[in-house]
Amino acid sequence: MAASRSFLRRRVAVFFTFFFPAILVGIFGVLVQTDAAGAGLFTKPASYYVPGYVAVVVLFTPLSRVGSEVARHREHNRFEKLATTPLTRGEWLLAQTLVNVGIIGVATVLVLALTTALTGASIVLSPLLLVYVPVGVACFCGVGALLGAFADSQDGAVTASNAIGLPLLFLSQTFVQPALLPEWFHPLVALSPLTYFAQGLRQVIAPGSTDAGTVVLDLGPLAALGVLAVAAVAFLAAGALAIPVTD
Amino acid sequence: MTDALVATDVRKAYGEVQAVAGVSLSVAAGEVFALVGPNGAGKTTLVRTLTGTATPDAGGVELLGEKPTAADRERLGVLPQSFSPPERLTGREVVAYYAGLYDDARDVEDVLAAVGVTEAADANYGDMSGGEQRRVCLGSTLVNDPDVLFLDEPTTGIDPAGRRTVWSRIEEQVAGGTTVVLTTHDMREAQRLADRVGLLADGELVAVGAPEDLVAEHAGAPSVVVDVDATADGAERTGERDRGSSGSEQPVVVAERALADAGMDVTTHGTEVRVRGVAARDVATVADALDDAGVPYSGLSWREPTLEDVYLALAGETYDADVQDASGIAGGRRDGAVAGARTDGGPTEAVQGGESS
Repeated sequence: MAASRSFLRRRVAVFFTFFFPAILVGIFGVLVQTDAAGAGLFTKPASYYVPGYVAVVVLFTPLSRVGSEVARHREHNRFEKLATTPLTRGEWLLAQTLVNVGIIGVATVLVLALTTALTGASIVLSPLLLVYVPVGVACFCGVGALLGAFADSQDGAVTASNAIGLPLLFLSQTFVQPALLPEWFHPLVALSPLTYFAQGLRQVIAPGSTDAGTVVLDLGPLAALGVLAVAAVAFLAAGALAIPVTD
Repeated sequence: MTDALVATDVRKAYGEVQAVAGVSLSVAAGEVFALVGPNGAGKTTLVRTLTGTATPDAGGVELLGEKPTAADRERLGVLPQSFSPPERLTGREVVAYYAGLYDDARDVEDVLAAVGVTEAADANYGDMSGGEQRRVCLGSTLVNDPDVLFLDEPTTGIDPAGRRTVWSRIEEQVAGGTTVVLTTHDMREAQRLADRVGLLADGELVAVGAPEDLVAEHAGAPSVVVDVDATADGAERTGERDRGSSGSEQPVVVAERALADAGMDVTTHGTEVRVRGVAARDVATVADALDDAGVPYSGLSWREPTLEDVYLALAGETYDADVQDASGIAGGRRDGAVAGARTDGGPTEAVQGGESS
C-alpha cells in the first residue's frame, strides 16, 4: 500500500509509465504501420506485434521501477531499518512485485485498448493473459532488484535497466522475427525470458499470427509460461538475496 | 539484572580499515548505554554488528539471548543513522507502514502524539522540517514498543526544542523498561540520558562508565577561563607570540606568567587562558592575580568539568592539542590520555586492549 501510494504521487513516473507504451503504439502501430506485402520489419499482421507492445511495459516498468527503488532504499538506509523488522527482503520484493503487477495490469489494458482501436489488431482475450502478465512482471522485478543491488545509485540503476532492456526488447521475438536474425544469435534469443513471454502470449492472444516453425524453441503457450515461471522464481530469489542490508 | 546485549571482542574491518577493533561490552535490561566518539570512531559499524545488520569478522554478539540475526524482531526497534523513509508518504503513512510490519503494534495516532507530530502528520515527509522528520523516524522505531531500542544519532539535525522532545520520548520509553543503546556526538544528550557511556576511539572502547564517574576520572578539575583583551594595549596580533607590533609584551603572555607565578596550572588557546584546578571559592584569586599584573580581560568564567571534557580528553580532540598545534608546541594529550584510560582503575571500568570488563 505504501509503495503504491509513493508511486502514484510521483506524477512524472505515473505519466511516463502509461505514456511510454502509448507513444510506441502511436509510432509503430499508427505511423509506421504494418505492411504484410513488404519486406523487413513490420511485415506481419498488426496482431503479431501486440505481445511486443505488452512486453514493453512488462519489461521496462519493473526493471526501472524496482531497480531505482532498491537503489533509493539503499541510499536512505531503509533496508538497514527493514532488516531489523519482521519483514524479510523476499517479502519486501514480493510486495513491490504486487504493486508492479497492479500498475502494469492497468498499463496492459491501456495497450490492448490502444492497439485494437488504433491498429485494427484482432486479439483473443484469453484468461492466460491474466497469468502471463503477472509472471512476466515478477520475472523482471527480480532482474530489476539485481540491477538495483549492484548499481551504485538510482541513476546507475535506470541506466542499467535501459542498457539491458532495449536489446532484450528487440531481440526476444517481440518486434523482430527470429528469421531476420543471424543463426548464431539464436541461442541468445533462447536465453531471454522475454522470448518466452512474447512467444507464449502471441499464441494465446494472436493465435493466427505466430512464428510457428521459425521460432528458436517451438514451445506451446503453457510450456513457455512454465519456462517464464521458472525464470521468475529464479530471478526473484536471486534479487531478494542480492538486496543489501546496509549500504 | 539480566543482560539484554552482550558483545565479546567484536572486530570488523572494511578492507584496510579496522572499523571495530575488539570491543566487548554488556548492556543490562532497562539500561541506557550511550556510545560516543569522534566521526569514524566505529560507532555505526559497532551498532550494525550489535543489531545483526553487519556480520563481525570475529567475536560474538548476543541480543536478547540470541545471535542478533535470530533475535525476535518484534522486540527490537532500530533507528539507523541517516535513515529516511519515502518523501511522498505523509508522516502518518510512514508510521502506519512500519506499524503494519508488526503483529502487535501500537496505535498509530498514539505514536504520532508521543513524538509530537500529530499536527504535521498529514504533510508529506519530504515537506516536513528536519526536526519533524527525525521525530517521525523515531515514531517509526517506537511502533512496536520495543524491548531493546538502538538509536544511531537520533537528534542529529534537530533544533534544541525538538531535541528535548526526542529526549523526553526516549526517557518515557526507558521508564517503561526499554533497554536503549544510542550513539551521539552530543555530550549533553549522553549525560542526560545514559546510565553508562562508552567512549569509542579508532574502533576501540577506551572508557566505559557512568557519566559522573567518567567525569571524575578523566575530565580533571574545575577551571577558570579568562578571555584576555589582547588589543587593549593597542597592539594588533601579528602572529608573533610574545610581542605586539608596538614591541610591548602581549597581554596573553603577561597573563600566563602572572598566573603561573601564582602557582596556577595555565594553558592558552589564542586569547583564551584556562586555569585548571580552581575551586569555585578561589575564583577571586585568579581575578586578583590578573588585576595585579594589569592584564585586561573581557570575560572570566568558572566551569565544572563535563562529559564533553572526557570526550575531548580521551578522543584525542583535546583543547590542549589544538593550542599546542596552533602555537607550534609539539605533542598532544591523546596518547597519554588513552593510555591512562586503559590502565587507570577507579570508578570507571578498566579498559585493557579495547575491552571492557
